[in-house]
Amino acid sequence: MKERKGKKSVHEVMGMEVSRRDFLRTTAVGAAGLAVGSLPFAPFTYGASTPIRIGMIQENTVGATAYGYWLTKVARAAVAKLNAEGGISGRKVELVEYDTKVNPAWASSMFKKLILEDKVDFTMGSVHSGVQMAVFPLAEQYKMPYIGGGAMAAGLTGKDAIAYYTRIHTHARMQAAAGWKWGFDNLGKNWTFLVADYAWGHSLAEEFGSRIKAAGGKTQTILAPQNTSDFVPFLQKVDPDTKVLFTAFLGAPALGVMRQTVELGLHKRLQRYTVICCTDGVGQETVGKESAGAHYLSYYPRYASQVPKELQAYDKTYRKAIGMTDDAKDASNPKNTATVSHMWTMWTTPYMIKLAVEKSGWKDSKKNADFMKAFNTLMVKAGPWAPQGDLVMRENDHQGFHDHYLEEVQPNLSLKVIARISKEKLMYDAPVDLRSKL
Amino acid sequence: MASNLAVAVLNGIVWGMIMALIALGLNLIFGLLHIINMAHGALYMLGAVFSWYVIELTGNYWLALIVAPLGVGLVGLALERGILRTIEDQPVVTIICTFGIMLVLQQLVLTYFGGTACRIALPIPWRIPLFDLQYPVMRIVIAAISAAVMGTLWLFLNRTRYGLWMRAVVQDREMAVALGIPVHKVYMWTFVLGSVLAAFSGVLAAPIVCVDFMMGREILIMAFIIVIVGGMGNLWGSVVTAVMISLIHGVGSIFVVPSTATVFSLGFMILVLLVRPQGLFGE
Repeated sequence: MKERKGKKSVHEVMGMEVSRRDFLRTTAVGAAGLAVGSLPFAPFTYGASTPIRIGMIQENTVGATAYGYWLTKVARAAVAKLNAEGGISGRKVELVEYDTKVNPAWASSMFKKLILEDKVDFTMGSVHSGVQMAVFPLAEQYKMPYIGGGAMAAGLTGKDAIAYYTRIHTHARMQAAAGWKWGFDNLGKNWTFLVADYAWGHSLAEEFGSRIKAAGGKTQTILAPQNTSDFVPFLQKVDPDTKVLFTAFLGAPALGVMRQTVELGLHKRLQRYTVICCTDGVGQETVGKESAGAHYLSYYPRYASQVPKELQAYDKTYRKAIGMTDDAKDASNPKNTATVSHMWTMWTTPYMIKLAVEKSGWKDSKKNADFMKAFNTLMVKAGPWAPQGDLVMRENDHQGFHDHYLEEVQPNLSLKVIARISKEKLMYDAPVDLRSKL
Repeated sequence: MASNLAVAVLNGIVWGMIMALIALGLNLIFGLLHIINMAHGALYMLGAVFSWYVIELTGNYWLALIVAPLGVGLVGLALERGILRTIEDQPVVTIICTFGIMLVLQQLVLTYFGGTACRIALPIPWRIPLFDLQYPVMRIVIAAISAAVMGTLWLFLNRTRYGLWMRAVVQDREMAVALGIPVHKVYMWTFVLGSVLAAFSGVLAAPIVCVDFMMGREILIMAFIIVIVGGMGNLWGSVVTAVMISLIHGVGSIFVVPSTATVFSLGFMILVLLVRPQGLFGE
């Protein structure tokens, strides 16, 4: 046998003969030792129990895509944080996502897929009232907890409410409760509602309008299709005595109605008021100078500087975790504005699921009713998981309450908080009682 | 009432002119290539999106008005050469194919431009008083530009060799081939011209509405109504019908809810199709 010059054999190095069996045994024992040793440091006991799966539906294509993008981004960040903190009851959390295409029929089929094929444990998401209503029968049929993610029709936790649905955020009735009085006292008593001709727009006109009328004011309602591009024919119909023009449209029409109000010179004789839903996710530079002087009712101040002092530390951590700058831009793309007032729901919801699971002792779907009861009695204190501030759930109608803000567009187009409305002032009587239905 | 009527008539004419340009492109493509172009609305949207990028880069709307339609013309060229050439003269197949193209264009814009609507500032910010309302000068300028483009198109079709070829191909394709007219080139440039017209309308409409990846959807339906009522393949029928339908909608909006006024326009279409199935001005 030819000797290699200057090199030693394994035998020479080890000083002993190593058989294949010895090698395998030693390796196996070593690997087992390493695995056991690492267990106390691992966040989950992988394999000991299955992950908790949260199914999510969002508007990612066709329409309302800014909402879909941000709500998805925030939900992913929240689940990552939850997993980094040990998951839920030691179980890893997985997110299963589907696009609704803003199509209730399609969304229903995806929701069914989440339940039957993906075997998710909880569901959440969608900012579209029509989509949410469409999946209600499935949530009810399969007793699947469904936590809404930004849809504003009042009926979702009112006349159309179901036992397995819950909403942690504002809606048209709460917005009216928060915003009508300030508008009535400060802007004028004669209102025209120019709103999108579907559930959300109707809700806003009805909820604000009924309060204005009850207080002795006058109202006019003009309904326009949500896809209207030219509002001139609608704006022509605004009562000449109107002092407040309240508009409610999403996406491009929201910008169109703002601009065309100015183009017809109506802004000179009336005040403009709307809910932030109309331009959430749209930078003020895009909304344009036509918005100067307009008033928005919001549910989370857009700019970090406008966040109440006691919440600023939580807000800072939250913005960093989801990749949002102080002026509500995407940290990776400054042209992309965040849907600040809506997306916090996807940050807080996974945490509330964790709290409700722990509170109810939920292990699997057999205890879904207990989970719902626990979820709807939660009181979340302001903190890293609740940067929007304290949040209180009401058991009767599965509705959450939180603070609201009034923001005014300044001449430099920035949004300035001019009033904060506490959640206690928004607590209207529960329109339904779902407690006996679980 | 007087201000409402003035605004309604003016606005009806403005939208009529914009719609006429879109319908002209659609009709031109159908009349010659027999392609029912479901992607026409997407080309209109693409024009607006391209103009937004040009304005972002240069700050010049008028430059965008020239550059963006040319850019979309190149897209039209690629579509005709790469996809549609093989299925020309098969209307049913072209419906499916162009519908697919529409979806692809929309999703590409959604991916790169984003889902948030964007606004283009009015290049002419002045407004003229109209009784107790005001009306933006830019809208009147848009109507004037549309009229000028239509006039140029008329001259192109009636006073140039290419226009003559196009008319010849419409009248008798076989004879045109026999006489040495390069029919495939005529097809190609007609599709490009139709695309440019759609994009041009998109750029004109962009400062009035907002730039959005779905902005072509509603326009397309109205454009088809105009083409059908005006007469399939009848270019000037489209122009008259576009203005007529927009005026019916605008003036109707004074007396009823604007959404109901849309029913008037659709009722007008049904009436025309019942009485003159070939369209108001014939095919």
